[in-house]
Amino acid sequence: MKRVIRSFLRYLARRKSLAILQLLGIAFGVAAAVGMTLASRSALDSMENAVDFLRGGSTHTIKRPAGPMEEGLLQKIVDDPSIKFFAPVIDRKVRLASGGEVRLLGLDPFLDKNVRSITTQIASAANSAGREKILQSFLLDPRTVIIDENVARAGNIAAGQDLMTMQGPLKVVQVFSNPSGEPLVIMDIGNAQEFFRMAGHIDRADLVVNDEEGLRQRWSRGFIIESNQQKAQTLSALLGAFKLNLQALSLLALFVGIFLIYNTAMFTVVSRRRDAGILLSIGASRGQVTLAFLVEVLLFGITGGALGGIMGYFLSKFLVQIVGGTISTLYFFLRPSALPWTFWNIAGGILLGSAASIVGSLPPLLELRRIQPVQVLRGRTASRRAGRRTKIVGLAGLFCLALALVLFLLSFLNVYIGFAGAFAFLLGASLFSGFVIIIAVPFLKRLFSSVIGLTGKIAIGNIRENLGRTSVAVAAFMIALSMSIGLASMIDSFRHSLIWWMNGQLRGEAYISTKADVTVPEEVYDELKKIPGIGGIDVFRNVQITFRDRPAGITSIDSAVLQKYARFGWLSGSDRAWEDVKRGDVIISESFSLRFKVKAGDRITIDTAQGPSTLRIAGVYYDYASEHGVIMMDRSLYLKLFNDRTINSLGIFIDGPELEKGRILDKARQLSLKYGLPFATREQFHRRILGIFDSTFAVTQSMRIIAVIVAFFGIAGALMTLFVERQKEFGIYRALGFTTGDVAKITIAESIGLGLISFFMSTVVGTIFAFILIRVINRQSFNWTIFYHLTPQPYLVTFLTAIAASIAACAYPVWSVIRKYPIMQIREE
Amino acid sequence: MTSSIRTYDLWKEYETGGHDGTALRGIELEIAKGQIIALLGKSGSGKTTLLNLLAGLDEPTRGRVEIDGMDLKGLGEKGRTELRRHKLGFVFQFFNLLPTLTSLENVALALELAGRPDEKLAGESIALVGLAGKEDRYPHELSGGEQQRIAIARALVKNPPIILADEPTGNLDSHTGTQILELLTGRCRELGTTLVMVSHSLKTCEYADRVLRMSDGRIFEEESCEGLAP
Repeated sequence: MKRVIRSFLRYLARRKSLAILQLLGIAFGVAAAVGMTLASRSALDSMENAVDFLRGGSTHTIKRPAGPMEEGLLQKIVDDPSIKFFAPVIDRKVRLASGGEVRLLGLDPFLDKNVRSITTQIASAANSAGREKILQSFLLDPRTVIIDENVARAGNIAAGQDLMTMQGPLKVVQVFSNPSGEPLVIMDIGNAQEFFRMAGHIDRADLVVNDEEGLRQRWSRGFIIESNQQKAQTLSALLGAFKLNLQALSLLALFVGIFLIYNTAMFTVVSRRRDAGILLSIGASRGQVTLAFLVEVLLFGITGGALGGIMGYFLSKFLVQIVGGTISTLYFFLRPSALPWTFWNIAGGILLGSAASIVGSLPPLLELRRIQPVQVLRGRTASRRAGRRTKIVGLAGLFCLALALVLFLLSFLNVYIGFAGAFAFLLGASLFSGFVIIIAVPFLKRLFSSVIGLTGKIAIGNIRENLGRTSVAVAAFMIALSMSIGLASMIDSFRHSLIWWMNGQLRGEAYISTKADVTVPEEVYDELKKIPGIGGIDVFRNVQITFRDRPAGITSIDSAVLQKYARFGWLSGSDRAWEDVKRGDVIISESFSLRFKVKAGDRITIDTAQGPSTLRIAGVYYDYASEHGVIMMDRSLYLKLFNDRTINSLGIFIDGPELEKGRILDKARQLSLKYGLPFATREQFHRRILGIFDSTFAVTQSMRIIAVIVAFFGIAGALMTLFVERQKEFGIYRALGFTTGDVAKITIAESIGLGLISFFMSTVVGTIFAFILIRVINRQSFNWTIFYHLTPQPYLVTFLTAIAASIAACAYPVWSVIRKYPIMQIREE
Repeated sequence: MTSSIRTYDLWKEYETGGHDGTALRGIELEIAKGQIIALLGKSGSGKTTLLNLLAGLDEPTRGRVEIDGMDLKGLGEKGRTELRRHKLGFVFQFFNLLPTLTSLENVALALELAGRPDEKLAGESIALVGLAGKEDRYPHELSGGEQQRIAIARALVKNPPIILADEPTGNLDSHTGTQILELLTGRCRELGTTLVMVSHSLKTCEYADRVLRMSDGRIFEEESCEGLAP
């Protein structure tokens, strides 16, 4: 047995370049999956660390359903027998003069030290005289803060210096350590109330509770009590769709990786068919031959997997930054750091590489177990039978497509069923690659022979002749290209839908601050109203609520202003719904409607500061602002229900001529500067939203690139294997008088031919994949409709990628041809 | 006479998409122990197909094959593998040495598979075919004749009662071919091994005890090679 295995393994040493190419193929496949998995895991771990750090020892949080809470309620909290400790908190964002944002917590150092450790750090490092001075300054001097090391490092600020914000300088008295990574600024709560102009109010109180049930009974009306567990669930639910997206990308990477590994394993097996035949004829059992194959395949899987595990770790360091950036932009601040290096990365890579290798080698191994030794002995001629097999494989493809259709129809049950459908579709489509090659070859033969003559005809003939190998290479490359087209078309369509949505809903001439930015003092609104020529101001407020135990949003707007200026896209209802909104009804976003299965005309009950309130839905509108769903209501109703006068953003609408508009906008800009608030014209605002949109798809774009790299190795491996196997044919070419250049041309033409077939197939598969992403995956994950928009760019970019990858993939085989061809002879061994 | 090989109404048909793909048509054959057979015939007459069926490398469409009185079909895959390990030696036209093993390893492999690993014996077998000193060479470092000698050494080393040779000289020049025939038949006679040689070459007849001719899937007994077209 040792000799049988040895006979196989010595191939690796003899065909080093091919072995390295195959090894790299597996390594990249594993790296893609490991990198993506590690990146998403480290992002989620960082989220838990950040939450744990700020939560400290608190067990619960009490707050109003929306907006700040009256400070006077603290007395009632003190008197509550269920509450052991409490700490009032103001939790807001501050925009720095340098452009970034930091989280500012207003805390009471005396109450807070019972709940969390940050405030115990105040003046902890100073001597007793210094300690007193810092504490005194922190408590008594307005605008005095302590900042964490992240803010200090980013702004190059030390204690005693000023932190410059858009709302003026803040005096830094101390820098403290913060393991969460989130830039934090801490101010005394009294000073924070003054700074944010919210005298008499706090945002929430963090509690240490010893009787949860009693607490909930006493504070059931007009308050939200959230346990730490609930809070973690809310955060997790907030990230639900995003996590799903990351998982899907990991799975896609794994899918392409497995394809490549299958490619490699299959080449390993088919290129040894003749040896298998010899071994069987001299008495080796099928089990021994199978074991020898498995040892070789596993060796590839283990080595490639280990290498992939290491590469994946480094890839995750890059991806985690992108993932963290996306979460920070869309959900909450997160600066995840890559997970520390562990040997489990290698172990995971080995497991993945080996498992995928075994899965990949199963079909050819099973075939080997069934085949008669005499057929195996025929060696490469067996691949001619691939033509017949193509029909069987095509039938399996049809079955997969039918299965995909059934899964899509059932995808309303769970988004994972939709994902399974997408994979079944890609797998089914890939099984048609042999069929497509057979159809495409006559056309390509004509094309190539008219361009480069006989060599072109031979090259394309070789693709058909070696169908068993080329079909797998085409399948792997096609899948990667289809992913590229599908993802790019989905992103393009989404971008166009977003632009359509912005042009309809965000029609203000300018915006002061945004939903994600600092809040706007009410005086700004009052002063803005006084500027002559302004046709309307939309006072925008957005708060996150919990509806039926899941996160959702409430947005308050000025319905009269939006009725006049905005052009909402209605899924059900029409602009007439604004009249109902003015009278106290609400409208809901499409995602809210789909998530909670409510429609126009239904009534929903939400928790408000006045207790539960039932509202009628007047219409459902298209929206891409939040996948969790939004209830939109008039500001007057919002104030009545929540008593929250906070403003997130002001949209300015102007009726007058252009010249007049410029003058009015200048005045509005001055006003926002006066209050240190960000100001953006409509074009700037839209551009910023598109910028955020593009950055959120950075991970997806990275995966597109990785998929193409992985597929590149697939094509390169296929070409190299064909080259190694065809040495005898090359000898015949030489005997017939073909020059080295002719044979190099054949190799290049074969590669481009494979690339072209893969591309043509991917235009169809990729377009359908885009529809699946848009109509099934996005709709199920994010609950919104994306309108398909056909743009040539994804197809053009993918075509160029296919050609470039094909040419790059044949570089090494061509070099080998140039080096070895002049000494090739017609011989069997 | 004790039979070494026996076939009963052996048929082999291939799927050829409408054309007649019958390679063997009811072959009845009996070969005695220690006999040396030359099986001649034109290309496509069914010689190699018959050889593959005798070795259990392929399955007949109809009929059966007995080796040493054992029905190949009844042996099952495992039994046929055991048969090839212990009772059959194979010599191919294209040598079919494993390119990644040295000469010695190729020969030793046959012993290892037969459950009798013995490198010394493998070395002796190589010496017997006249290639002492070339044990560590890989197949591509040997000439065609040398490769075939190693293949013969591989077939003989385990001392099987039957050797099947498919065009053993078909890929060699006539001088080397003669040497190989002498070597192969000489060793088989010494050891009392049954040898079936499939060949195009009439030269093979000179070394055989019995000449069989195949034509259009049927087998005919010949008294001598005279009158047989090459």
